[in-house]
Amino acid sequence: MTTTTHDQAPPGLESRGLPWRVGDVIFYGLTAAASLATLGLVVWLSYKVIAQAWGAIQTFGLGFVTSIAWDPVKQNFGALDFIYGTAVTAFIALLIATPLSIAIALFLTELAPRWIRGPVGTLIELLAAIPSVVLGLWGILVFGPWVAAHLEPFLERWLGFIPIFNGDPSQAGLLPAALVLTLMIVPITSSICRELFSRVPSELSEGALALGATRWETIRGVAIPYAGPGIVAAVLLGLGRAFGEAIAVTQVIGAGSGINASLFAPADTLASRIASQYQGAVSGLQIDSILYLAAILLVISLITNVAAQTVVRRFERSRGAIS
Amino acid sequence: MSANEQLLLRSGSLRRRRIVEKVVAVIATLSALLAVGMLALVIGSVATKGASSLSWDFLTKPRGLFGEKGGIADAIIGSGIIVGIATLIAVPIGVLVAIYVSEFASKGIATFVRVVLDVMNGIPAIVVGIFVFGVIVVGRGQSALAGSFALSILMIPLIARATQEILALVPGSLREASLALGVSRWRTVFSVVLPTTIGGIVTGTVLAVARVAGETAPLLFTSSITANAINTNVSEALPSIPVAIFTFSESPDPADQANGWAAALVLISFVLVASIIARALADRSRRKLSGGR
Amino acid sequence: MKKGLILSAALLCAAVAAMTTAGVSGATVSEGTRANAGTLTGAGATFPFPLISKWIPAYDQASGTQVNYSPIGSGGGIAAITARTVDFGASDAPLSPDQFTACKGCVQIPWALSATSVIYNVPGAPQGLKLTPAIIAQMYLGFVQKWNSPGIKKLNPGVSLPDLKITPVYRSDSSGTSYNFTDFLTKTSPTWKSKVGTGTSVSWPTGIGARGSSGVTGVVSRTTGAMTYVDVAYALANKLKFARVRNAAGKFTLPGLRSINAAASSVGKVTGNGEISIVNPAKSQPLAYPISTFTYVLAPTSSPKAVELRKFIYWAITSGQQFGPKLLFAPLPKGVLAFNYRQIKKIQG
Repeated sequence: MTTTTHDQAPPGLESRGLPWRVGDVIFYGLTAAASLATLGLVVWLSYKVIAQAWGAIQTFGLGFVTSIAWDPVKQNFGALDFIYGTAVTAFIALLIATPLSIAIALFLTELAPRWIRGPVGTLIELLAAIPSVVLGLWGILVFGPWVAAHLEPFLERWLGFIPIFNGDPSQAGLLPAALVLTLMIVPITSSICRELFSRVPSELSEGALALGATRWETIRGVAIPYAGPGIVAAVLLGLGRAFGEAIAVTQVIGAGSGINASLFAPADTLASRIASQYQGAVSGLQIDSILYLAAILLVISLITNVAAQTVVRRFERSRGAIS
Repeated sequence: MSANEQLLLRSGSLRRRRIVEKVVAVIATLSALLAVGMLALVIGSVATKGASSLSWDFLTKPRGLFGEKGGIADAIIGSGIIVGIATLIAVPIGVLVAIYVSEFASKGIATFVRVVLDVMNGIPAIVVGIFVFGVIVVGRGQSALAGSFALSILMIPLIARATQEILALVPGSLREASLALGVSRWRTVFSVVLPTTIGGIVTGTVLAVARVAGETAPLLFTSSITANAINTNVSEALPSIPVAIFTFSESPDPADQANGWAAALVLISFVLVASIIARALADRSRRKLSGGR
Repeated sequence: MKKGLILSAALLCAAVAAMTTAGVSGATVSEGTRANAGTLTGAGATFPFPLISKWIPAYDQASGTQVNYSPIGSGGGIAAITARTVDFGASDAPLSPDQFTACKGCVQIPWALSATSVIYNVPGAPQGLKLTPAIIAQMYLGFVQKWNSPGIKKLNPGVSLPDLKITPVYRSDSSGTSYNFTDFLTKTSPTWKSKVGTGTSVSWPTGIGARGSSGVTGVVSRTTGAMTYVDVAYALANKLKFARVRNAAGKFTLPGLRSINAAASSVGKVTGNGEISIVNPAKSQPLAYPISTFTYVLAPTSSPKAVELRKFIYWAITSGQQFGPKLLFAPLPKGVLAFNYRQIKKIQG
């Protein structure tokens, strides 16, 4: 993904005044058409989503983003509940996944004996291959009940003075959803971090070691700063994944409403509210409002993705200068 | 031991630093164990609970009605058809875009198209589902083709990126030699460049298939109102394994839950085997290209 | 070695193909082909799904027509028939005037009659716990939070209720059962009426949401202290306890054929578009269960499948009703049948 250097097209086909045959022109046309079609698809999709949301955008304007309401009876809709849910679940998932991923990457590149690195690395990447609906199935039937029976009472007992850990245990809520998202993000971010750490030029780390640094100090002082922007990109990519996940989250978050201080309470995210209500929305304004949620989700995902790619490109360019 | 080190050791700093290093090593090991442990937990649950409900009946009967056990035969066939058609749509487009980016486009345009592909990759699957619902399903009805179209939107960036990465590894000298011999551009690509990259393209495709085989959200609105019998008509909505698992997962009926685990086992087995094969193919292909022939 | 890997990939494909073929052949042997007769595709309410599941094989035998039904919720059914993505829709919530307009010529035919039970998962509580509309409203508003709170204990003297938090569970999708339940609460609780109101989808003050009758039943079966509202057939199928609800006459009734019939007995002649509300019947019906409801099939007046639709709906409201009683679907009253025959005639090709 962010790993290969492809900063220039190989010298070749379009070069040097060689004549263009008919077949060449047709072929070029085909490839260019495919690229245009891809661009067109992205533009069309963005347009469709925003166009369908227009009714709600006109009715509620930007106040939609700060309104907690979601009342199909009174025809009053707002996105704040779900922006909160999306932000909190993604943020917690990232909070846990980032250090975990860095630690796993360190384990795989520096600390583990060589014979372990391959199998364990493969196992962790296989975690990425588990479809989200299967994680959700496990979440509903195994993980959610365990969280409600053991994890949440434990957190409430020891950390209950903090409002986010104070509440009635529930099998469905922000906490199980955030933890399931963590499981989804860790393989992505850890495999990127692992690639980053394995690319740290050995001269740099050997130099530090020669100066008397311990392995950890070398990692902290050389590898992590070197890979820093890459880690940021990995985090952003994981964030994008967390924002957009609809299915597994729908299964364990409990379709709650309102903004609760407690992490145990049922809640909803942008993606999961869309998933549960889109098919049956019967008033035009409700449909438009759901599309407004989709537009917000799309914008958030695009920004995160483009930010990740920008960081990666700048990172690769600067690395190119060094090595 | 140098004078410096003796100094540090006496001041305890070296010892502290060594302790810190050990602690970090322990944390890193525990993290890896935690990740592997969670994987084992999830797959273990699916394997044990799924295996006990897997049966020949389950694999050959279609979905049951209320209170009936039924199976996922219709979902397996539906998934096969939907993912198959999606692959047929996505591979040509993905490969063509990759060829454009790596062989024809100028640097600026190539970057732009790559950004577009990355953007496409970042569109949440649920939004893709809504989009396809809005353009195809409304007025016409759900269909497997609509589902395939939605899945292909998810596959194209994956295949294009994988193909483009492998194309970039082909040495420029190969192309130049072919062109110098008077071979036309398109023939150069087809007969010289592509054959060396076919392994990478297959890898990318297999990975993309493994990824979308488990996607539920795009199919929720495009192919979820289905028959109760095995159907192969692509102009109608066909059931799929992920949507079936989604429905089973919410049910109170232990029979449905058992079916859910078994279906999850079938899906995970397919996805894991495909991922392993793809990875092995990728390693071989990369070794061959960079190690020379 | 490369050949070996390509061979593995080919084997994988072959395995999938083999399984698929086995599936097809196995299924065609056991299911028979659909080549001969027509098919009808419908989608909508989960409420009547237990009954429709009995209709499908029976009607296939009687007429050779395969009916396909996807329980996606009443809202989904209304949306699907409005967009004509299905041949018929099903909803427990009657169409509003706006929805009728959007549907561009649809008929609404009440084709089954049953009740919404209030189920709960409370260890130690008996079947048939007594609840009043007011208490139910307070539970769903979040004002009454524990099962052993004084209000509930007073209604159920002698029953040991645990100190357990009440978790109200509601439908997160657009649901006709929600419509029926909120209609009942609106008509019996002024607080509910002003705070929440009636609808297939409302702003629930508290609790957990789940999709489909299946989903809410699932949450209740997994969560102690949870309660929800769902068609009584789901309660029976999953062996969950349901409550006695006090009706307008002051009697606590369970959903059953007698109490549902009593609720529907006040229906005389049906006119207009077929919307019938039998929620909270007057006290002249002391046996009535107050959260009973009709459920409707929605069909276009102009459809390429008009003949099959007329035959199927006619069968459903006549021969099909025999499958009802075991699932606690009561037979349709005569006045409703008369109305339905007239409505069916409006479905033309």
